[in-house]
Amino acid sequence: MKLRMSRMALAAAAGAAGLSILLSSALPGKPNAVIPQSSVRRLTEAQYRNVIADVFGSGVEVVGRFEPDLRVDGLTAVGSSAVSITPGGLEQYDAIARHIVAQLFAPENRAKVVGCAPGATDPDGARCAADVVTRIGLRLFRRPLALGEVRAGVAQTLNSAGKLGNFDGGLAATLVGMLTSPNFLFRIDTPARSGPAGTIDGYSKATRLSFLLWNTSPDDTLLAAAASGALDKPEGLRAQVDRMIASPRFADGARAFFDDFLQLSDIDHLSKDALIYPAFSTSVAAAAREQTLRTITDLLIDHKGDYRDLFTTRRFAMTRALGPIYDIPVAKPGWSIYEFPAGDPRAGILAQASLLALHAHPGRTSPTLRGKAIRETLLCQKIPSPPANVNFAVVQDVNNPTLKTTRQRLEAHLDDEECASCHKATDGIGLGLEQFDGAGQFRRTEHDMPIDVTGKFDKAPFDGVANLGQLFHDSPKVSACLVSTVWRYGNGRNIQAEDQPVIDDLNRGFAANGYRFMDLVRTIALDPGFYALPRARPAGAITTASATISKRSAS
Amino acid sequence: MGKAGLYPIAALAMLVLPIGGAGLAADAPTGGPPGTRAFVVNGLFFSGGGDPNSDSAQSPGSYDVYLSMLPPAERAALSSPGKRGELKKRMWDHFGFRRLSLWPGDFGGRAQVAKLPPDVKLHQKPTPEQVRAIAALNGFPKDRGSLAYQDQTITYSGCTNPYDFPDLAKGYVPYQGKISYGMNLDGKVGPHDFTGPDGKRGIDNQLWRAIGSYKQSQEMNDPAVQEKVMLSARAPMLIEVSGIDDPRNDPDVTVRVLTGADPLVRDGSGKPLARASFTLDPDPSLVNVTHGHIVNGELTTDPVDIRFVFREQIIDNIRTVRGAVIKATFKPDGSLDGGLFGYTTLASYYDMIEHMTQDGADNVGMSCVAIRLAIDKFADGFRDPRTGRFTAISSAMKFRAVPAFVIDSPVQTASRAESAQ
Repeated sequence: MKLRMSRMALAAAAGAAGLSILLSSALPGKPNAVIPQSSVRRLTEAQYRNVIADVFGSGVEVVGRFEPDLRVDGLTAVGSSAVSITPGGLEQYDAIARHIVAQLFAPENRAKVVGCAPGATDPDGARCAADVVTRIGLRLFRRPLALGEVRAGVAQTLNSAGKLGNFDGGLAATLVGMLTSPNFLFRIDTPARSGPAGTIDGYSKATRLSFLLWNTSPDDTLLAAAASGALDKPEGLRAQVDRMIASPRFADGARAFFDDFLQLSDIDHLSKDALIYPAFSTSVAAAAREQTLRTITDLLIDHKGDYRDLFTTRRFAMTRALGPIYDIPVAKPGWSIYEFPAGDPRAGILAQASLLALHAHPGRTSPTLRGKAIRETLLCQKIPSPPANVNFAVVQDVNNPTLKTTRQRLEAHLDDEECASCHKATDGIGLGLEQFDGAGQFRRTEHDMPIDVTGKFDKAPFDGVANLGQLFHDSPKVSACLVSTVWRYGNGRNIQAEDQPVIDDLNRGFAANGYRFMDLVRTIALDPGFYALPRARPAGAITTASATISKRSAS
Repeated sequence: MGKAGLYPIAALAMLVLPIGGAGLAADAPTGGPPGTRAFVVNGLFFSGGGDPNSDSAQSPGSYDVYLSMLPPAERAALSSPGKRGELKKRMWDHFGFRRLSLWPGDFGGRAQVAKLPPDVKLHQKPTPEQVRAIAALNGFPKDRGSLAYQDQTITYSGCTNPYDFPDLAKGYVPYQGKISYGMNLDGKVGPHDFTGPDGKRGIDNQLWRAIGSYKQSQEMNDPAVQEKVMLSARAPMLIEVSGIDDPRNDPDVTVRVLTGADPLVRDGSGKPLARASFTLDPDPSLVNVTHGHIVNGELTTDPVDIRFVFREQIIDNIRTVRGAVIKATFKPDGSLDGGLFGYTTLASYYDMIEHMTQDGADNVGMSCVAIRLAIDKFADGFRDPRTGRFTAISSAMKFRAVPAFVIDSPVQTASRAESAQ
């Protein structure tokens, strides 16, 4: 099927939607990056895939290269408020959409998607096109299409069908247009026409809620609740939130959050030296990512557990591909829960291969990388990047005959006072994980020297990852970091000073409810502030961000 | 030959301790169940010794034997590698070899599709009676033909019925060297015994006597080849040592020799993947249990009859080694390196030869006929009191094994629970 679509139409649509497209306005790595509060967030690749599966069926393949998601202050959810679509990216979306639509018109799918079959000049074509545009538009745009939008879609369909001599070709072109529309690719909040000022309408609420809880677009029930106005009432909102949290799909939403929070997607690009870590492979890496997500959902969703127990749990999701890395027998060929006995070196997600391998070099460990990642991710702290002219020779010389362990080499490196200040913040935690090599495999010695895994975290001493995990479990900083991160994930922006009272409330509630992740998310989902329109910000704040961008671009 | 010290498998089953297995495996600590070390064998090679260029003549394969039977002009015409197809056709026609595919599809040779009796169903392994019936229906000589090619084909050749083709043993010479890897299995020093590379006398390895003069055997005896090649990776042998109190010296450990149902794969560096988990073949007869002891890091097992699967390319053979002893060293890198010594039963070796097929033997330059005649001649173990003939031949196999985990299937778990009662 030959599909045609006007790029001009897309550009026009973008303009009509009033999109303020900020080119790479994010400031990755910059402390407290100011992301302008936005009513527009681009779908992430995962969200795009989820929506297509929900609307058209999981059998429809999504093939193509997406615009890369941008991680800002650790979250692509925050970055999604700060990205646009480049011309090259639009071509990719267009190609992906064409491939999807071609599948929709395959004989096995057509009746389900289209449901009518007029001829090219059939007067009923208008009715058929209107039905499809209205029905699919509601799911893709997450709101009913305006009459004008439906008419435009019908007109485009019939016009194209006439030129192509083929109704399906015309309808396909319209669907491609919808799949490349900003109304689909961006979550665009619409102000409520009635009710309290400064809030968004029911469909925008449904969208925020659905992406927070399920990481996909609203289902029919939620859209119906939006249409009926139920979401504007506390009891209606509560009913939907409870329904969605009780759904198995909430686990998908939780996985999406933790995947973003722990930056696990970076594992897709991870490679190790096969001679040094022969047991590690791309399939092992993928399994390690899955292991962490399954371990989390087992504890937090299936067992409604305490978030802090993630740092002490001995229940690891396990599959045979990971057996060689963990040096354990794995009885079942699929996924199951493996419980390490008390006293075993494996305890908590800090001892999982995903984080250990992700924050290490291809051929050696890095207490610094591990410590930096843990401080930034799990403690929400900022660690400055090293200066450009650092001499790493001592650290990298893994075969140094006198400095046999990583700890010894790092200590030698710290003779440089300039380096020492930052390493103090990172290496203590990282050295506590040194009994796990760069692939996450347990070891007791390095070059026949026993590995010292003692250290201090917040002035409290620890000896090994189990001790360290317990300190993390007991640290208010750890739970507070989760609270602020979930909030940032849901709102798609960083916390500003005026948000702090809300965060404080959330922290108190989180503790009072036993640190239950589900309760935390529920609280955020029920918070009226979650559905507020972005507050008007002083122009200076946005200007500052833009100015910084311009300055960086120019340098 | 010594039979003393052999434990019937059934009796040994009573000695099995609750080691490894699904019960403990679910919660085993890092490193696996305490006191247990298991390994997956990544190659099991019949081994002997000597330099074929200096102390043993080489035996010809079937093609060379057949060529030697031809007039000089024909021999010259068919000798080049490019004439291999024509040579094969001539040889098969000359000897009347047959190959019959049991289901549609050909292997590219001269296979014909079988006429099947009504009780034979496609894709089901036919019984021996059905094989005979199929062979008769398709014009095979009376009572001839065997299953081969992973039970997909019935063949009649020098590998299935060697005594029908004695000409193909022409030119064969046994291995003539004096030195061979192996073990003194019977505690005696006989006139036909080898001397070990370390000078020990009375080495029993008559299987090497039979096959050691083939270039293929010599190549597979090369440590460099053994280092690279994985054999029977689709059904690897597993060795589990449990009840270890001291890995350097322990007077009594339990040893299970098992067959895995999961394939052994290579790691990122091309070596066998260590510390993988292997479910056992559900056949309980493939669970072999004995005791052993460790001295200075070297494991020596008590003799036991061992049945295991050798599954490599077209060969799918259950091999039986009677009075088998494992002597192997725990290496610092965690691997196990050693040998399996004992009397390979003639029946299981015949089966292996049949599975090798005429094509397989021809491709590696061996003669099934000569080997079959030789092992019958050199057999030296387990005399059948009824016929007075030996039923097994002394043999030595080298192996290398990397750490692994054994996962008992429900059959072994039930058997283990039963034996514990």
